[in-house]
Amino acid sequence: MLQVRNGEVEMLGVLFDRYQTPLYNFYTKMTQDRAVSEDLVQEVFLRILRYRQTYRPGTTFRTWMYQIARNTRLDQVRKMRPETPFVSEPVAPASLSDSAQRQQEAATLQRALMQLPEDKRELLVLSRFQELKYDEIARLLGCEVGAAKVRVHRALQQLREIFLQLERGAPPTGLDRALGDTLPPTRRLQ
Amino acid sequence: MNCEQIAVLLPDYLQGGVSSEQSAQVEQHCEGCANCAQDVAMWKKLALLPPEQPSPESRARFEAMLRAYPTTSSDQSVSTSAREIDDAGKRTARWAFFDWFRSPLRATAWSVALLVIGVFVGSRLNNSTISHPEELSAMHAELTSMRQLVALSMLQQQSASERLQGVSWSGREAHLDPRVQAALMRTLRYDGSVDVRLAALDALSRHGSQPQIRKGVVDALQEQQSPLVQVALIDQLAEWRDPDAAQRLRNFQQTPNLNPAVRQRAEWAISKLQ
Repeated sequence: MLQVRNGEVEMLGVLFDRYQTPLYNFYTKMTQDRAVSEDLVQEVFLRILRYRQTYRPGTTFRTWMYQIARNTRLDQVRKMRPETPFVSEPVAPASLSDSAQRQQEAATLQRALMQLPEDKRELLVLSRFQELKYDEIARLLGCEVGAAKVRVHRALQQLREIFLQLERGAPPTGLDRALGDTLPPTRRLQ
Repeated sequence: MNCEQIAVLLPDYLQGGVSSEQSAQVEQHCEGCANCAQDVAMWKKLALLPPEQPSPESRARFEAMLRAYPTTSSDQSVSTSAREIDDAGKRTARWAFFDWFRSPLRATAWSVALLVIGVFVGSRLNNSTISHPEELSAMHAELTSMRQLVALSMLQQQSASERLQGVSWSGREAHLDPRVQAALMRTLRYDGSVDVRLAALDALSRHGSQPQIRKGVVDALQEQQSPLVQVALIDQLAEWRDPDAAQRLRNFQQTPNLNPAVRQRAEWAISKLQ
C-alpha cells in the first residue's frame, strides 16, 4: 500500500487480487446482492486510489480498507433507499450438491442474517466471515476490544433467536422486523 | 465455570484465540449448558453460508478503472479532485518562494535589504517629528480644547450618568481650564445627583493647590443638604489643611438641624486643622 501511496498506482493490482474476494464476500453477506457487491468492490478500490494519501504508514491496511468499505456501504444504503428497489439475482444459499435439508437450513440462516440489524450483521460478518480480530473490529468501530467482543457475542445471540423463530415457522416479533428492516423486503433473499 | 465467566472467553474461543486449557473449559461448560452450547452451534452453523467468488469481469473492470484514473488526475497530484490539485499547486508555489531563502547568500542579501528599509523608514519618521514641533503642540492644544468642550457639554446633560462621564472627562487634563473649573464648581453646588456632586468634588480635589478651588469647596459646604456630600467636603478640607477652613467649619458647625454625624465630622476636622 505504501508503494501505491507513493504514486505506484499499478501496485494497486496486487492489493486488488488479494482483497477483492474477501471484500466481495463482505458485501454479499451484507447485501445478498451480487451485482451490488461487485459495484461496491470497484467503488472501494477507486476510493483507495483517491484517498491513498490518507493512509498512514504503520497502520494495518486491512483495517483501513474495511473502514473505506463500511463508508462505501453506508453511502450506498443512503443513495439506494429513496429509489424503487429492483430485483436482482439473489445469492444461492449453497451449492447444488448439498442435501435438501442443509440447503433449507442455509436459506433460513441467510434470512435470519438479513433480519438482523445492519450494525449487528456487520459485526458478525466481520468477525465470522472476514475473520477480523477483535482489536481490528474495535479500531473500526472506535471502541474498546472488550466492548467489541461483547457486541459480537450479543449479535450472535440475537441471530440465534431470529434463526430459531424462523425454524419454528413463527414470524419474527415486530421489534425484530423493525430492527432488521434495513433493506427493502424485495431485496431480501426469499 | 458459570455462564458469565464463559461469556468472557466465548468470543475468543469462537475465533480460536484461546489456549487449549481455556478451550477445554468452554467445551466442558457447554456440555452441561444448552444456552452457551447453542451460541457455539450458531457460530459453527454460519459455515453453511458458502464463500462467494467474484465474477471474472471484476478484474477487467478494475483494470479499466485504473487505466482511466491517471487521465482524470494529474500525475503527481494527491487526488482526482480539481480543488485538491489546485491546492497542491499553490502549496508547491509557496514552498518554491521559501526555497529562495535557503541559499545563505540570498538570505544575507534579504536581511541587509530589510535593515536598510528599517533605517530609512525610522529616520524619516524621526525627522518628521523634529521638524514640526509647533504642529504637534497645536494638535495637542486642539485635542485639549476638544476634550474640554466634550466635558462642558456633557455636564449639561439630563442624564446623571452622562454628567458623571463629563466630570471624568474634565479630570483628564493636568491644568483645569477656567471654564471647566467653573462648570465643575457649579456641578458641585447645584447638581441634582449626589453621585455627580461627589465625582465633581473628586475631580476638583486634584487641583487643591489653587486657592480659588479651596474657597469654592468651602463655599459649597454651606449650601449642601446631603450629609454624604457634607462629610466628603469636610474630609477634603481637612486633607488640604487650609488654615482658613477651620473658621468656616466652626461657623458651619453652628448651622441649625445639622446631622449629628456631620457635626461630629466637622469637629474632628477642626481639631485636625488646628
